[in-house]
Formats: sequence, C-alpha cells, structure tokens
Amino acid sequence: MSDIDVHHLAAAYALDALDPRERAAFEAHYEGCDVCRTDVLEFRETMAQVAGSLSTPPPLSLKDRVMADVAVTRQLSPALAAPVPAPSRRQGPSWALLAAAAVVVVALIAGVVAFNGGSDDDPFNDELAAVLEQTDSRMIELDNQSDIDGMFKVAWSPSMGKAVLMGEDLPVAPDGKAYELWLISGDQSMAMYILDPADDGQVHRTLPTPAEPTAWAITMEPEEGSAVATGDIMFISEV
Amino acid sequence: MGVLRPLRARHDEPVVAEPDDLVGALLRRAGRGDQSAFGELYDELAPMVHGVVLKVVRDPAMSEEVTQEVFVELWRLAARFDGTKGSARSWAATLAHRRAIDRVRSEQASRDRQDRDAQRAVTPHDVVVAEVESTLDVARVRRALAQLSDLQREAVELAYFGGHTYREVAVLLGVAEGTVKSRIRDGLIRLRDELGGEA
Repeated sequence: MSDIDVHHLAAAYALDALDPRERAAFEAHYEGCDVCRTDVLEFRETMAQVAGSLSTPPPLSLKDRVMADVAVTRQLSPALAAPVPAPSRRQGPSWALLAAAAVVVVALIAGVVAFNGGSDDDPFNDELAAVLEQTDSRMIELDNQSDIDGMFKVAWSPSMGKAVLMGEDLPVAPDGKAYELWLISGDQSMAMYILDPADDGQVHRTLPTPAEPTAWAITMEPEEGSAVATGDIMFISEV
Repeated sequence: MGVLRPLRARHDEPVVAEPDDLVGALLRRAGRGDQSAFGELYDELAPMVHGVVLKVVRDPAMSEEVTQEVFVELWRLAARFDGTKGSARSWAATLAHRRAIDRVRSEQASRDRQDRDAQRAVTPHDVVVAEVESTLDVARVRRALAQLSDLQREAVELAYFGGHTYREVAVLLGVAEGTVKSRIRDGLIRLRDELGGEA
C-alpha cells in the first residue's frame, strides 16, 4: 500500500470502517505522519460531537452494575511507566521492530512443539499453577488490535524461565495460516510458537522464556511458521 | 483498540497543555483509583456512550452490556488517557464506537452461522430517545449533517451508525470502493468544518 493510499484512510479509520489489514497498515503509518495524526484527532473530535447528539441515558441501574465491576477491576499502570522508549525504537515494537528482528529463534518453534508433546489440559493446569505460584510471576492480557474475537493471556515467571499462554474464543485460523506468538525482548523479537486453536477456540500452551520479555505479540503467519513476522500485529501488550 | 497504544506513545513530544475540562480532570482522578471521580465521570459520559452504542447495536439489552463494558474499560485504562491525542470525551466516544462495532461484527458472524436473523424481534429503540442532553447540540449536529451531500451523508452514516467497513458500504451502494472512501473523507471534512474540532 502506498503512502498516498494510506493518507486517505484517516476518515474511514476515524469511523472504524477499515478492515483489519488496512487498519493495521494505517496504525503503523499515522503516528509518524503529522497530517494523518491531525486528521484522526480532528475527525474523532467531530464524531464525538455527533455521538453527543445521540445522547440517551442508560437505565439508572446500569451505574450500580458498572460501579460494582469497577470496585473489583484492577487498573492498568500509566503507559509512561513502560520500559519501552529507547532512542532507536521509540515507537515501540511496531512493525519495523518485528520485521527487523535481529534474533530469530526458529529452532525454538520445533523445540517448543516437542516440549509440549500432547495437548492434554491437566498438565497445563499444573504448569500454570506452578508459574503463578512464583513470587515473580506476571500475567497480562494482550490488547486485541484485530477485528476478530478472542483473547490471549500470558503468565510467566522469570525465575522459572517459563511462560504459559492461554487463548479463548479464537476463530480457527484461515486455511494455510496459523497464529504465531512473539516474545519481544529489548529490540529483539523471537518467534515463540505456532498455534492453532482447538475447535472450542481455546489455546493452552507452556513454553520456555529464553529472554526477559518486554512485550508479547500475536500475528497471523503461514502455518509452517515464520522466523520474521510477516502478518499484521493482532494482539500485543507491553510488559 | 486504537485508543490503547502505549507501545507507540511518543515520549519525545512535549505534553501539550490541555484545557482543564471537567471530563478530562475526572478521568485523570479516576486513573489514580478515585472511584467517586469515576462515578461523576460516568454521569457525564453515560448518555453519550450509551447513545452511540444504542445507535450502532440497536438491541437495548445488548447495548447495556456494551455500555457497561465500555465503562469498565475506561476505568481500566484511565491512567493511560493521553490528552495530547484528543479530549477525554472523544476518547470515550471512540472507545464506545469501537466496542459497539466489535459487538455487531461478532453478532453478525454468529448470525451468519445460525441464520436466525429473521427471528429477532424488531426493537423499538427509537422511542427511547427521550431526555436528550442538549437539544441545542442535537440541532447543531443535525444542521451540520444537512450540509453534507446526500451521497456523503449516506456513506458516513452507513459506516458510523451501520458499523460497516467502507468496502462493505461500497457493496451496499453498488459503487467503487474508492468512491466510498472519497465520499467518507469529503463528508467528514465538511462535518469537521461545520462543527469545528472542539468538543
């Protein structure tokens, strides 16, 4: 897609009217493009006014439900606390970073597949419990930047060097494609695992963590796996 | 989830002084865990959020679920609100629309599978539009929308209210994708010029 094409997507983007591939292309482009950033910002303010003109109070009882949820929902830390901004990659592990992956752990894919062997759920639950018991364990839900349903969570423990990946409500990948998990560590992104959700849309995998993750991401790749990401980022979260 | 892009935050830019609007101030307090500020924020934003969700989703019960999701997400993300990327109100409107679209697209997918669309009762959602917050704002937006050509308005409404991608709008209207892209762009530019950027 040429830059000219991308520029012209700002309005459709502000209306959420792009398909996932174009949306990812536009998002990769617009933060670095003053024209598009301004366009998106202004179009969104405009549409907020349109939204305001639609104002309809929800039932009063909804506030109680929201506040009850809020009382038990942990808030995310501010983005500024993220250990992301190094000069050479201040836009984070976007496309360029994944594509320019310096270290490629192809062998890891095979290794992890072997490591997992069967996909019985019980060992997985034990593995998950073992990771979560560690005092240094972390668990995050990846931000879904795609238009598909579904959710990924990763839990890991640096001291164990082990991570568990959980996916839910995921559509089966298109023919010839598969989801691929990436561990991003500093300016390296590592191909971690090729996965295909079971018929119930679930993914449960245990895998080693060869490096301290600074972010996790999921892309769609050819089913044999890619050493360097070729698909759009579908899910991503910094650590 | 375009509103949540912490990885691409531009830390090299100076923070632009924000107008100290009520909604933004409440959101920043909520980001520090202040639930009572969040309650006030809810009161300020709920009619707009629910309005846009209802317009897109249409089913009242499902709309309530989506509105609830949007507010819990606003709470979760409050500390990541970045005033340099627009006002708090526009952030909430963007999130509300995005979640509403997510819901209708996933509903559509499941309907396509189950083919039970025809059995759904028609929801008389339009009668709910009582107590509109400010009739002046409504009139202003309506006047602005009236400045669009019929073709522009049709494309913008099918995309924003209908939850269709511009490619889908092109199929619906039987015109080229590029044509729809232009109509949406020209329409939004005119709308922006009529309404101004400020919320």
